[in-house]
Amino acid sequence: MIIEIWTKEKYSASEEAALSRRLGHAGLAVEAARLSRLYKVDGDFTAKEFRSIASELLVDKITEKFSLSGRPHGLKGAYRAEVWLKESATDPVGETVKEAVEEFSGKTARAVRFGHAYYVACGSELKLRHAVGKTLVNEIVNICRIEKL
Amino acid sequence: MTDPMSNFTTLNAKQLAGLDSACGWSLNALELAEAQRYFKKAGREPERGELETLAQTWSEHCKHKTFSGPVSFKAGGKTKKYKNLFKETIVKATRTLNKKWCLSVFTDNAGIVEFGNKGKWGLAFKAETHNHPCAVEPYGGAETGVGGVIRDILGVGLGAKPVLNTDTFCFGFPDTKMKMPKNSHPPERIFRGVVEGVRDYGNRMGIPTAAGGIYFDDGYCLNPLVYVGCAGLIPVDKIDKKVHSGDLIVSIGGRTGRDGIHGATFSSANIDEETTTSAVQIGHAINEKKTLDVIMRARDLNLYNAVTDCGAGGFSSAIGELGSETGARVHLDAARLKDTRIEPWEIWVSESQERMILAVPQAKLKKLAAILDAESCEYCVLGNFPGDGRLLVTHGETSVVDLPMAFLHGGVPNFEKPAVQRVIKINSKTPAKPAKSYGHILKNLLAHPNICSRHSVITQYDHEVQGGTVIKPLQGRYGDGPGDAAVIWPQAATLDLADFAGFAVGHGFNPALGKIDPYQMALQSIDEAIRNLLCTGAEISRTAIMDNFCAASPKDPRVMGDLVLAAEGCHDGAIAYGAPFISGKDSFYNQARDAEGREYPIPISLLISATAPVEDVRKAITMDFKEAGNPVYLAGVCGRGMGGSVYNDMTGPGNNHITPLDMKAAVRLYTTLLIAIKKGWVAAAHDVSQGGLAVTLAEMAFSGGLGAQLDLAGAAKEKGLSALELLFGESPARLALEVVKEHETGFLKLVKGLPVKEIGHVTEEPALLAGDSGNNFFREDIHQLKTRWKRELI
Amino acid sequence: MNKPKVIILRGTGTNCDIETLTSFKYVGAEPELVHINQLLSGARKVLDYSIMAFPGGFSYGDDISAGKIFALKMSRLNADFEKFIKTKRPVIGICNGFQILVKTGFLPENKANAQVSTLYNNDCGHFLARWEKFRINKSSPCIFTKGLPDEIDLPIAHGEGKFMIEDKKIMADLLGRELHAITYADNPNGSMHDIAGITNAAGTCFGLMPHPERNFFAHQRPDRPAGAREAVSVGYQFFSNAVEYVKG
Repeated sequence: MIIEIWTKEKYSASEEAALSRRLGHAGLAVEAARLSRLYKVDGDFTAKEFRSIASELLVDKITEKFSLSGRPHGLKGAYRAEVWLKESATDPVGETVKEAVEEFSGKTARAVRFGHAYYVACGSELKLRHAVGKTLVNEIVNICRIEKL
Repeated sequence: MTDPMSNFTTLNAKQLAGLDSACGWSLNALELAEAQRYFKKAGREPERGELETLAQTWSEHCKHKTFSGPVSFKAGGKTKKYKNLFKETIVKATRTLNKKWCLSVFTDNAGIVEFGNKGKWGLAFKAETHNHPCAVEPYGGAETGVGGVIRDILGVGLGAKPVLNTDTFCFGFPDTKMKMPKNSHPPERIFRGVVEGVRDYGNRMGIPTAAGGIYFDDGYCLNPLVYVGCAGLIPVDKIDKKVHSGDLIVSIGGRTGRDGIHGATFSSANIDEETTTSAVQIGHAINEKKTLDVIMRARDLNLYNAVTDCGAGGFSSAIGELGSETGARVHLDAARLKDTRIEPWEIWVSESQERMILAVPQAKLKKLAAILDAESCEYCVLGNFPGDGRLLVTHGETSVVDLPMAFLHGGVPNFEKPAVQRVIKINSKTPAKPAKSYGHILKNLLAHPNICSRHSVITQYDHEVQGGTVIKPLQGRYGDGPGDAAVIWPQAATLDLADFAGFAVGHGFNPALGKIDPYQMALQSIDEAIRNLLCTGAEISRTAIMDNFCAASPKDPRVMGDLVLAAEGCHDGAIAYGAPFISGKDSFYNQARDAEGREYPIPISLLISATAPVEDVRKAITMDFKEAGNPVYLAGVCGRGMGGSVYNDMTGPGNNHITPLDMKAAVRLYTTLLIAIKKGWVAAAHDVSQGGLAVTLAEMAFSGGLGAQLDLAGAAKEKGLSALELLFGESPARLALEVVKEHETGFLKLVKGLPVKEIGHVTEEPALLAGDSGNNFFREDIHQLKTRWKRELI
Repeated sequence: MNKPKVIILRGTGTNCDIETLTSFKYVGAEPELVHINQLLSGARKVLDYSIMAFPGGFSYGDDISAGKIFALKMSRLNADFEKFIKTKRPVIGICNGFQILVKTGFLPENKANAQVSTLYNNDCGHFLARWEKFRINKSSPCIFTKGLPDEIDLPIAHGEGKFMIEDKKIMADLLGRELHAITYADNPNGSMHDIAGITNAAGTCFGLMPHPERNFFAHQRPDRPAGAREAVSVGYQFFSNAVEYVKG
């Protein structure tokens, strides 16, 4: 199960501007950018339990929203880049969250991995791949998948 | 597939070399032959784990073969032979000086000097580099670099409490025009990643990152340098450690995984497109924080006899080192693992982060375990130290290593390396009068990446955690002036708020000089580091220093020549200033192929880290002008030459003469100035370094929000000095001082006969005016100067 | 009179615990470092102490969000914490400690102990450590800020310090009752109404982002005021106020 969490739109201007700026460093002209945190929780939880892990543990109710089935991003024709640490790399956030999930639910998760999703409206997938590779992703430690929305 | 080790003893030299490169060991022909000789004599083939252990133990990273090996140095038709370059230069200086306040030098994980006046504490200090990993994965490389040097301090003696982190970075210019090869990161990204790594790791550890520097030169485009340092406090009765026969081997902290294979060998090989994922790691600061919390508590309850960190070589080095006299019996199946897909020999050599090894008496294990559990820190008991001098490592029924410690630690062969002095053309002609005005040049210098404000980096570090950063990297009226050295009041280690003893940490670093004269670079770096300490009022007669060399491939005799000259400079500087080296480290092979496939080496780079006691931190001083009306003095002689200056970097080649350092005069000058500072006669002191005198004075002015009216005619200077050299030259051993008006008479009496001259006074009017007997150089608004200087570097 | 016992509650990743301890010691209290695990195991009891401090740091790495996991661990003992606060024993949360008090729902005070506010990522997007000017709200019931001057300097050191309340009524109530005890003079992180620290109505439970323990002595200040070398600085007041309050 992948739990996706993002800042409510009314509060997200500064982080989106920072993301656009960062991609801009690599020469990408960004029309719009959004970002989410991703938690890949692997364990025998019911849908209800996953929902409660997301709503009670992982999301900040004041400023954030979550979804268990993907984010309504509202950026048609844009691209979505999903970034994770490779399995062989230590994922310190994932490890902490795994313990927290256990503490919270009383049930053990097999693994938790932490990642990001970036929604970017820009020229082309190729340009985005290049810019992401120069700023947000290092193929030595990261896995990055890009899809057109 | 047949096991490639099964016929190791019958392989020829070429086959051995092939095996070496397939396994990524970086052993040379001599070492491979020595290993083969051993196993032939033993009458058996080696296990993979045994060759891996040798590769780790004999690696450049662990044994420092280049620096501590024999060298033949040719210069000016003469040849000088060294049996052990390191011992005959750096260590020799320390031995000659033989300071009683040096408690432990060159033996443990870090050097230790006395701290405070109660005879209760020692100060441990260590700096390392983590260059190659930062080139490949800047964020993870910097994190694990910081984590590694902190573990050095946790693992010195029976464990010191870290109270300060330092970092010095070298990158290519963020706007470099150099064409980068496909597999490398641009300097701007490396810079950002490294800063974020240091930030996220250091901040989580609760250790202030409060001293260091950032240096840009396109020589570092492909090979950034990331120097990380750590200082900690240790009770003097916890400096000695000794493993007892029968002690248990306990690993605490992080788990072992495949992520840490081949770090030690990796740092000795050039980087190319083949560099694999497993060579870089992501740090886990919170695991290391747990080990810190456990070690501090367990140390004070005497729950273990020895401790060391797992660094390069992982268990193989840490356990091999602790058990070098007792031997060690290790059951790898007891190790806690990140990943089950791991070979036994991989567990043995994995360099997974955040692990420490303790030697624990059986009777104390229960108490230690209680603390580990209370701090939620994982651990495992891997075996024991039997006392038979044999290293026996098993996994289940399988033998992984079975070697005598004596061979492991004594067997490494070495060979003589040729070295020659580089030929550099020196232009000593009086520099041409610039086309642009001096005010214009000053503003451009202030905005130069090597001079401008570092606030956008420093404010990302929690540089005041522990409440002891008394002299801060950002100081003055607005909390943004560029400090010369940090002063730490380690109250979070001593817990004694009535004890105001502290220590200062400063650095000297000048590769621009090294390109012209490595010997002078070493001398002047030591001078700069000590001068920085002096600017805070530290007791410089008690300075201890560390060398961290970074160089390109030592196979190039010119690189070895640079090293020899710099090492000789280290020796002579240490002797002249009475400042012993207490620890050091070196990193070679900092070169890579550029986009056209040419070798691209870094310039010889020597970081001098210095520390000296501060008797009473309340009396330490900062660099900002304090009060209008106070006179301004320049101490030291302005020498000729623009060699190594930032001005030259801006304008291109010209006069590249370097004023040689007069060390005796410098020591005399500093000793007297320290008296004045300690008497409270000096309100502000700032060293003259990058950008020269004009930059120094501008920084003092805008950091205090005050102006100054200056007539440089009175400054002590070499004959024939041009205005350009006076304003922007970087000759050594100079500092600017603001003297408290009411103590000026006393000050003048004290400095009589020394080159200490009044050059003007501080003014309320926020303008910096400089001239030379009525000849006006510039008049600049301090707010405008500050605006140019206070750039967002990141 | 006996020295008031202070529980300095730490967990994995807490890192300002020692300077918080020495600060309380200096003002005449008897502080003790206690790990949350010691409370959970029953080895220590919250109600045995008369002052509680949550020091700064990165509890559990601040993974998920700052203070969240520490708050989760505390939730099993909420009854004890509630009683501690209700009986008006002083509680101070500094930086990560404030974040914990917000994530537990103890601040802003509400009947359900629900999280009604947050301390979110700084507008600049990263950790920020520097000195700032603050205004002290003289009308606030906060016992920790009593007697402080109108404007003080303190260092901040946080990545998640942007104080936010969504519910306008809760915010109006907080402002109306003057519970915003300390505000930024020059807002560094985007906090609503420049809020840097808040208290409960009794004034005894207080959380703030800046670090008073780092401006406890004059020699900890960046401007090194001459003539103040022996003196304590404004941070001292926060701690001594708590002790004086307990002593009555």
